Amino acid sequence: MARMKFLCDADRCIECNACVTACKNENEVPWGINRRRVVTINDGKPGERSVSMACMHCTDAPCAAVCPVDCFYTTADAVVLHSKDLCIGCGYCFYACPFGAPQYPKVGNFGSRGKMDKCTYCSGGPEADLSPAEFQKYGSNRLAEGKLPLCAEMCSTKSLLAGDGEIIAQIYKERVVKRGYGSGAWGWQTAYKETIAI
Amino acid sequence: MSQKAKETEKSAFDRRSFFKALGAGATVAVAPAMVTPAQAVDPGKDETRARYKESDHVKAFYRSNRY
Repeated sequence: MARMKFLCDADRCIECNACVTACKNENEVPWGINRRRVVTINDGKPGERSVSMACMHCTDAPCAAVCPVDCFYTTADAVVLHSKDLCIGCGYCFYACPFGAPQYPKVGNFGSRGKMDKCTYCSGGPEADLSPAEFQKYGSNRLAEGKLPLCAEMCSTKSLLAGDGEIIAQIYKERVVKRGYGSGAWGWQTAYKETIAI
Repeated sequence: MSQKAKETEKSAFDRRSFFKALGAGATVAVAPAMVTPAQAVDPGKDETRARYKESDHVKAFYRSNRY
């Protein structure tokens, strides 16, 4: 059985944030929530790197382990989804997640968080596939349409890979074999000279 | 022990047994209300079934990412 994974090739990411924008538009993500974010380290310095981050759909997901109402479930594609009907907005998953994936719309009064929202790997939720209710709560269900998450599909530099973990790992391996990795990458010394060490 | 002290003790016992009976009754009344079915999500096979298909669209994505 194929296991769905994201893989961001940090050597190719140019921090254009198109994946963030595409995700927000495709899934009509509520205000104040970014299901995907681009994190940049050493910003503005030689050797800066960017990586696009979202829910990593963990095999043994910490968010699911701490949820007091047990609203998470894992599909046969190894995608971690949750039910917004059961979520009580307690925020435990937000603290448990090492990637900051679960977020809250803060729609209620008196500091209540509202229902948790996170990346669904563009595969909807527990409602019927491609139904209006599913779209309203979780966004589009591209997996059911025979497609992959839009963030990866429209990445201009092909930095963000999505799909069957074994296939995208093989694609990444082929890239590394061909161009090298990090400071050994093709063209690296031409661009940054030999004095730059990563 | 004087008569007055005995009466005080008796009335105290009555009050305590009254509250004890009240507490026991409340526990019996509340217990069935607490035994409700679990609300945890119990996804059926339909919710968790695989949706990924290696369609032509997906194959084109893999192919274009190889270079």
